[in-house]
Amino acid sequence: MKLIPVAAIAALSASMLVLSACSSDSSTSSSEGSGESSATSNASEPVTVQLLTHDSFALSEDVISDFEESSGITLELVSGGDAGSMVAGAILAAGAPTADVIFGVDNTLVTRALEAEVFEPYTASGADALRAELADQTFDGRVTPIDFGDVCINIDDTWFEAEGIAPPTTLDDLADPQYADLLVVEDPGTSSPGLAFLLSTVSRYDEGWTDYWQRLLDNGVKVAGSWSDAYYGDFTFGGGGDRPIVVSYATSPPAEIVYAEGEPPKTPSTSVMTDGCYRQVEYAGILSGSDEIEGAQQVIDWLLSPEVQADIPMNMFVFPARDGISLPDVFEEFAPQIDDAEQLPSDFIAQNVNDLLGEWGSVMGR
Amino acid sequence: MTAPGWLRWAWLAPAAFIVAFLLVPLISLLARVVTPGTLNYLVDPLPWRVAGLATAQALTSTALALIIGLPMANVLTRYRFPGRRWALALATVPFVLPTVVVALAFRALLGSSLGSGFVIVILAHAYLNMAVVVRVIGARWSTIDARLEVAARTLGATRWTAFRTVTLPALGPSIASAAAIVFVFSFTSLGIILLLGDSSTRTLEALVLRQTSILLDFNGAAVSAAIQAVVVGAVLLWAARQRNAVAGGALRTFRLRRPTGSARWAVAFIVAATLVIVLAPVTSLVWASINSSTGLTSTWWAVLFGAETIDAGSTRIGSPLAAMGRSLTYAVVTGLLAAVVGGLAAISVLAHRLGRAFALATALPLGISAATLGLGTLLAYGRPPVDLRATGLLVPMAHALIAVPLVVAVATPTLRSTDPRLVTVAATLGARPSRAWWTGYGPTLRAVMIAAGGLACAVSLGEFGAASFLARADGPTVPLVIARLLGRPGEASFGVAAAMAVVLVIMTTTLVAAVDRGGRRA
Amino acid sequence: MNARTLECRDLVIGYQSRLHAPFTFTVAAGSVLAVVGPSGCGKSTLLSTIAGITPTLGGHVLIDGIDVTRRPTHERKVAMVFQEPLLFPTMTVRDNVAYGPRRSGMSKADARAKADELLDWVDLADLGHRSIDQLSGGQAQRVSLARALASDPAVLCLDEPFSALDAPLRARLTDDVLGVVQRADIPAVHVTHDPQEAETMAHGGTGGSILSM
Repeated sequence: MKLIPVAAIAALSASMLVLSACSSDSSTSSSEGSGESSATSNASEPVTVQLLTHDSFALSEDVISDFEESSGITLELVSGGDAGSMVAGAILAAGAPTADVIFGVDNTLVTRALEAEVFEPYTASGADALRAELADQTFDGRVTPIDFGDVCINIDDTWFEAEGIAPPTTLDDLADPQYADLLVVEDPGTSSPGLAFLLSTVSRYDEGWTDYWQRLLDNGVKVAGSWSDAYYGDFTFGGGGDRPIVVSYATSPPAEIVYAEGEPPKTPSTSVMTDGCYRQVEYAGILSGSDEIEGAQQVIDWLLSPEVQADIPMNMFVFPARDGISLPDVFEEFAPQIDDAEQLPSDFIAQNVNDLLGEWGSVMGR
Repeated sequence: MTAPGWLRWAWLAPAAFIVAFLLVPLISLLARVVTPGTLNYLVDPLPWRVAGLATAQALTSTALALIIGLPMANVLTRYRFPGRRWALALATVPFVLPTVVVALAFRALLGSSLGSGFVIVILAHAYLNMAVVVRVIGARWSTIDARLEVAARTLGATRWTAFRTVTLPALGPSIASAAAIVFVFSFTSLGIILLLGDSSTRTLEALVLRQTSILLDFNGAAVSAAIQAVVVGAVLLWAARQRNAVAGGALRTFRLRRPTGSARWAVAFIVAATLVIVLAPVTSLVWASINSSTGLTSTWWAVLFGAETIDAGSTRIGSPLAAMGRSLTYAVVTGLLAAVVGGLAAISVLAHRLGRAFALATALPLGISAATLGLGTLLAYGRPPVDLRATGLLVPMAHALIAVPLVVAVATPTLRSTDPRLVTVAATLGARPSRAWWTGYGPTLRAVMIAAGGLACAVSLGEFGAASFLARADGPTVPLVIARLLGRPGEASFGVAAAMAVVLVIMTTTLVAAVDRGGRRA
Repeated sequence: MNARTLECRDLVIGYQSRLHAPFTFTVAAGSVLAVVGPSGCGKSTLLSTIAGITPTLGGHVLIDGIDVTRRPTHERKVAMVFQEPLLFPTMTVRDNVAYGPRRSGMSKADARAKADELLDWVDLADLGHRSIDQLSGGQAQRVSLARALASDPAVLCLDEPFSALDAPLRARLTDDVLGVVQRADIPAVHVTHDPQEAETMAHGGTGGSILSM
């Protein structure tokens, strides 16, 4: 009799394994021994390049398999957790890295990584095609900008329409009593968009940023621990919360359409407040100490290639760093291109982030 | 009492386990991080203040978990009634749910009425951890003769006094064990704190995360992690002392009895309360998985089973079914590994002087932050010369680290209370020493290892922190897929995440129920 | 003090349905009612009903002339000795015996003194400090007896207390029980499946009788 439950578990496991084998999985699991399947044209033997990324990384499977076929390189994706954890791991492993290429270091973290000498300098072959404002952000050729995104205030238009109030349009509006108890932000100590918003206010208000936050506090701002908690828990649109203003991304409205149920709506019910956005740039770089430098270089070139750059928006919901890439319609219409986003120098951030967080904590009583 | 033959070397297993899975990663990490200047960070008041807050919160969470869990332990492990096994399995489910899922469900249920803060955090902690109380104390309680309280009542004790003076002292060590585990989990809580907490509920674990992932302040992180490890170590040592202080005596597992008379109402009430408490958040998840802006829908479930996709051809989340298969595989490997190592550790407690020390040592990982363990494992085994990432072993290794202390906590008191005279009997019947030992302890060991192994499987299914570091990027586990889905906007993401969470609940409940049955039959 | 008696009037025992015809009997102080019958006929249920552990399906239980049918167990002062000693595992022998006196409000010191006195009754005077797992089967059962008596019960019930012991021990303990019942001058109900033992218990002292189920 006691064999029966054991048999049940065995059957369950077996069926699960069979199902998972049959279902379509990412082709990058080709590193599980099928390296010989792709026709190698350039390399004399199969080369595996490990790409260290964070949880938000995504690209279309055929873009990846196209690259693998044409280059003869097997691309193995390595997960580093969220962006901060990934960079922490890279810093700790500097010199004897856990992968060959790292992608997803953003501008709040890059200085630390540079100080720890994590990168092997390399100028990508598409570097001259970068957008003007990103062209000089390679830090002496040690990293390559791949994409950028803006952290912006998102508005639930449906809610504001129903209440008959005009939504806020500037950072100052957020502190206006007319919009009391309507804003939810994320804790900058635990959330990347939360930190980005804080940096935006520091950039905008300079020395007076603590006064601004005091005004926000007096106006009933709510602080959530993470983006998903704010967006799905407190935001009126996302999760049935009671706050129609949230710190999110400029690409959240198009995402709303892409990830809608059934027939996608013609227009999203949320929109972006274009004032006070903070620009986050993501970089890729070769990890110093890697033994696949050539392959890594090809991967960096590939990340900046038109194919990947055009693939990035719909997969990662950020904007391509390369100039002249046409965006999907839903981006063109609903994701505003912010021309005057706030951005602080990376070394300023690295030096001061600890103090900034401490001061923020004192003002907010946390 | 000493055990014969190879059993005397049982302590090698937990020792090797600790060295390979815990010490090597830790040393790899500390070697890179700690400098002579690190000691200066000890005078920073911040980590000490956070430690104080975390202690207050953890003590309250523990008290609440005990209050809720003791009646459940009594009813679910001592009485027989239809559906008992399923109720017991269900009560274990919250323990293994990913914290992000629990937090969202709590928010959905309680809304902003309680807001964030102390109350909702301790409620969430009690919810997550009441299974520990039920299992650890229940395992011991079922070895206590119910007639002892009857005898006390004939001597003039009211029901409550009989419980207080006879049963409670006998349960003492197991209560200490359970309380210590709940305290440690609440003290080192991360997900609930991030999602539901506020300034009064911070933990060192969250501080370490902030220091490693946002500030990249490794020295500060090392100090915070060290303080946390010391507090947890002290608590676990205290619990071990309580366990060893009682003689125990030889007690057997009693058959479940049917409730009679007024007990029937009490049992029914507690079972109903258990179901309501466990299922309320789960219900809100089920609701979210079939809800959308256009009304009820089955789309999220269709996506789950591959009939539809929301990420056509992207590497974004991969196949949910594949993730389920992967999670299950990791869970089975974790269960086996944890059962073997934990079982040997429990045996070594009985069989060898050193055994107690090593069994205690297996609990150390509970106090070391997941970020620390993940980073350390990565540095030690995630790159040449020893690169185990391709083998898929890293995740079960980390999961086993977390699960083994639970196996030991459940197995040791039960093994201790096995009548050693059974071994003598077997010996007098002609069995060689090791065979006799096995005859005496084997049945209990097998039953307990199956039950504890099942618990380890369930823990692995829902674990998130370590897996996020160590799982392959193209091979996420179910909790990782849920986290990724929750990391982006759109009702589809939320709906599919909720559906996956429901599947996790079903998988866990079934697993635990099946294993419980196997355990009891053995 | 009044002579203690146990009286059952039309007492119906059982759980869902009655197990036996209604009982009517009186047991006088210092005498033993031996209840004998095959396994499963309800002998133990009769005892647990008298003690108030099992609710009655009808009829009355009177102790010292007072109707205690509605009273909970801890108010009835019916002490029980079970087939197994059921000693409290976390207490010493002395504290086990002192349990009853403590419950009735005696101070720790007084209760322990009383415990020592009762341990002397059953010839275990120097074992008070021991832990219960250091006792033999016979010793444990005698401690159980002492514990029951220390609570100053109105009635003593014994549920096959000797069936786990060997013959010489059984004979010895039978004498012990008869002795203490007379010494304490309380009624006792003794359940057994052995007719010989029933005979000895009932007619070894004065005023006893046998009830066959």
